[in-house]
Amino acid sequence: MQREVREFVATCHLAKGALVTSLTLMDPQALENDARAAVADASSTDDVERIRVEYLGRKSQLKLALREVRDRETGMALNALRERLAAAIDGREGELARAEIDRRLTEERVDVTMPGSPVRRGHLHLITQIRREVEDIFLGLGYTVVDGREVETTRYNFDALNFPDGHPSRSPLQTLFLDDDTVLRTETSPAQIRTMEAQGPPVYIVSLGRVYRRDTPDATHTPTFHQVEGLVVDEGITLADLMGTLDYLLKALFGEARRTEFRTHHFPFTEPSIEAHVSCHMCDGSGCPVCRHSGWIEIGGAGMVDPKLFEFVGYDSDRYTGFAFGWGLERIAVLRHGIPDLRELWRNDPRLLSQF
Amino acid sequence: MRAPLSWLREYVTVDAPADEIARRLSISSLEVERVIYVGVADVDGNLGRFLVGRVIAVEPHPNADRLRVCHVDVGEGEARQIVCGAWNFEAGATVAVALPGARLPILDVPLDERELRGQHSRGMILAEDEIGLGDDHAGIMVLAEGPEPGTPLVDVLPIHDRVLDVTPTINRVDLLSMVGLAREVSALFDGDFHPPAADDPAIVDREDVDVTVEDFGGCPRYIGRVFRDVSIGPSPQWLRSRLFLAEMRSISNVVDVTNYAMHVWGSPLHAFDRTRLAGARVVVRRARPGEELRTLDGTLRRLTTDDLMITDGERSVALAAIMGGEESEVTAETNEVLLEAANFEPLGILRSSERLALRTAGSNRWEKGVDPYLAEPAAVLASRMIVDLAGARMTGHVDVQSGLPERPVVRLRTDRASRLIGLVVAPDEQRSLLERLEFEVSPEWDVTVPTWRARDVTREVDVIEEVARVVLDRVPHTMPLRRHVRGRLSKDQRLRRLVEDVLVGAGLSEAYTWSLAASDPDSRAIRLPDPMTSDQAILRTTLFPGLIEAARTGLDAGAVDIALFEIARVYLPSDEQLPDEHWRVAGVVAGGYEAVKGVLEVLYAALQLDLRVERGQHSLLHPGKSATTEAGWLGELHPTLLDGVWGAFELDLTTLFAPVPERVVYEDVLTFPAVLQDIAVTVDEDVEAGALVDAAREAAGPLLREARVFDVYRGEQVGHGRKSVAIHLAFQSPERTLTEEEATAFRDEIVALLVERFGAELRA
Repeated sequence: MQREVREFVATCHLAKGALVTSLTLMDPQALENDARAAVADASSTDDVERIRVEYLGRKSQLKLALREVRDRETGMALNALRERLAAAIDGREGELARAEIDRRLTEERVDVTMPGSPVRRGHLHLITQIRREVEDIFLGLGYTVVDGREVETTRYNFDALNFPDGHPSRSPLQTLFLDDDTVLRTETSPAQIRTMEAQGPPVYIVSLGRVYRRDTPDATHTPTFHQVEGLVVDEGITLADLMGTLDYLLKALFGEARRTEFRTHHFPFTEPSIEAHVSCHMCDGSGCPVCRHSGWIEIGGAGMVDPKLFEFVGYDSDRYTGFAFGWGLERIAVLRHGIPDLRELWRNDPRLLSQF
Repeated sequence: MRAPLSWLREYVTVDAPADEIARRLSISSLEVERVIYVGVADVDGNLGRFLVGRVIAVEPHPNADRLRVCHVDVGEGEARQIVCGAWNFEAGATVAVALPGARLPILDVPLDERELRGQHSRGMILAEDEIGLGDDHAGIMVLAEGPEPGTPLVDVLPIHDRVLDVTPTINRVDLLSMVGLAREVSALFDGDFHPPAADDPAIVDREDVDVTVEDFGGCPRYIGRVFRDVSIGPSPQWLRSRLFLAEMRSISNVVDVTNYAMHVWGSPLHAFDRTRLAGARVVVRRARPGEELRTLDGTLRRLTTDDLMITDGERSVALAAIMGGEESEVTAETNEVLLEAANFEPLGILRSSERLALRTAGSNRWEKGVDPYLAEPAAVLASRMIVDLAGARMTGHVDVQSGLPERPVVRLRTDRASRLIGLVVAPDEQRSLLERLEFEVSPEWDVTVPTWRARDVTREVDVIEEVARVVLDRVPHTMPLRRHVRGRLSKDQRLRRLVEDVLVGAGLSEAYTWSLAASDPDSRAIRLPDPMTSDQAILRTTLFPGLIEAARTGLDAGAVDIALFEIARVYLPSDEQLPDEHWRVAGVVAGGYEAVKGVLEVLYAALQLDLRVERGQHSLLHPGKSATTEAGWLGELHPTLLDGVWGAFELDLTTLFAPVPERVVYEDVLTFPAVLQDIAVTVDEDVEAGALVDAAREAAGPLLREARVFDVYRGEQVGHGRKSVAIHLAFQSPERTLTEEEATAFRDEIVALLVERFGAELRA
């Protein structure tokens, strides 16, 4: 190839006899030899870039010669030379780039056990996480989430829920009153009544939020805590439906391997009433301190909506039946996450918040 | 309540072991807290080593003054020599004997034969505390005569027993009795039920019993019975043991009998020393104003006119249904007794007992509504026992009542029961289980409720509950049909979650703080009339103080870079009965104004909202570094509130969410590139950056896609009291590529307005 070019250029000399200055001064063969030698000597991609500018740049001899060339043959020959040089430079650049990457790959190391750049991350409160989990379980079942109010009338907090006169909850020893007719709600159940007043059946709701009781704070009591309330009213709702729903909920919360047991209980707003128990997730029923050696853990109350509630909101209690339940979210936190003292959930110590 | 199984099995015949009885009861009837194992172990024939013995002879111990050598017949033909330290018996006494090899709960190793001061002893004469039947160790147990020597002791005393510790729900006061529990067990296991049927003692030398009830509302029934020639003394061992296992203290035969009869029938009784009643009368009435009574526990009680009293016409002698008075207490000297088997209305008793903070085994039953019919069998059982155990004569009886309640009759549709339960329960089975619970069921399914359930079971659904609870462990698990459901969060609920997630992503942790606060910046905030503590006295109108407290907790814990938020309600006073409850989000973050502004910028951007602020004032913020938005406020925390420099914000979520678009609509920002231009202008120090940006938008119109202050410079070059503000401008049209010339024209218009409005000088 090189010889051909040299001959070709020489032929041009001979043929035309009149060459322009740059061309006259330039010896293509020497130029190519110089360039190739320089390329071969290049030891870095930066060197290669410099060589590219020197031999192929706008002010390079070759570029100037090309600008001045007048005859086709010389132009073709010089262009071929330019392409050859460009190829040689590209090739050398590629080699050197690969060599540089190879060197980096062998030489560079990090201590992979060093910590990363800090990114501040916040945490949802454990109770919020549980609240969302429960909401999502019921959203998946087609329920709606209802926000009830926290300051309630005794009419919604007690009367409509069929609390008899003299029920301990009506006592100021257990409930925080604002005046004779106004309380901080003692359970999330008033949301049931307000929902049923606002809409006809069918009703499929859960309502989660703060409730208030006059409990002296200790490891297992705080005067404010959180409940999840569920209410279903439809044609043909059965106690079996309630038990199936709670079984589903408990397995979702405590693991598919859990067993559930339902025991008779008594609440003013449900009839029949039951209390849900789940086989202990720590010992799976064989007995341990968490379940107080009974194998079972009490979770909370539930039952079939008492017809008196339907009467209060004007539902036809012959046509519709329903179920309701109301559980504490803190209890789930204690059982599932081993929170030893409920008061800590309100102290907001960052060391605790950031655990969850 | 404690229910010893040996006692329970006297009233119901079932083969089931204790644990099975406890399991079925806990599913269908009441809470069984635990099953307590009491007495001596039943292993390796241990029970066979406890026998009834008769003391044949008692001799002094030759080598020990405090011991005696006894010869005891335990049915082996030849009497055993046993050395004993007790002195409360003589030859002829019937006693309880443990033979060598017996394992006692108080000993680690089996009893062995041994020499005691040189005398061989082949067994042990037992005191009640040695086999778990009591806590008396003053002497050995002297048993009633009757059982032959060699009779297994377990046939005479509950030396090996299981005790159920049960708690009925508030509607099942009938289960606070051995009879009620036995009936329940018989219904669950289809066992034979045979409640005690004591013979009522005949009245001898009849005399009138003077009982007046002035307040039938409080006391619907009062049975008074008089006993003479009463010998007060200790109760027999079987009675002491039963009371002990039932967690009641043995006091004397007559007092023990009242407790025993209460435990059997669930209707509390009281015994008065009749000679202490003036005129031997009983008048039931409310307390007089200012009246006082010293109750049995020695406390002087100040009464109100709501308290129901048993009086002798002159003075109160008992706090009705709650506790007797000290003066009329039965003592060792008593020989005339007035037995009270009454009935009291629950609500008043509950109120008195709560107000006086005095709860007793009696009040615990009365406050739940005891069946007035039970007064009679309780009176009969107690009378029989007083006559039998205290050698008394019954000389009078009166039953004052205002008429006893009718039994409710309820029509049951058995198919409705099956439908509500979700399990087909055959009508025959429904009938049979109701009848085992002593409901009467007519052929037409009219169900007559027994008297002890009359308060609780008044409607069809209540009867269905009776069926449901008995079959509860057979009910299948199904899911509701859910033909019409929409399982979706509301817009506000979704956005609340978004706010939580954005703030967590921005590095804030969620705190929970109390709704009730010690103080509140709003003087009209609602105050609880009777708070639990002064720390929790006011319904808060701002989340902010709680978060400051939480941040302080973090500082105390040594945390750095604290950033907290909370989403909760505040309670704003209103003219209605109920306050306005508003959802708020608030935050406290380490760093100053810029820190909190940055957080809110991220939050607003996530909500597709522009954050627009104005200078504003808030009592809890630094006056020069606080701002308001439409939804709330933000700023630097007032330096007196917390050490360090802190940013804080509080926003009303309803206001914040109102302008959030339902959906984001595509805008073409890709096809035609933006033309970028930056300007820097010098303005007076008090010109706000936001005003410059607003003016820029006003001047350039909608093609100004972005205007953002990116640098503020103060220094000699710009002069005192002036600042240089650099603004990044991006012009973009969704329809065509803007030319540099167009952009420059916009830029010039912006600069012109800035010059005109703010006296700005263009620097670059």
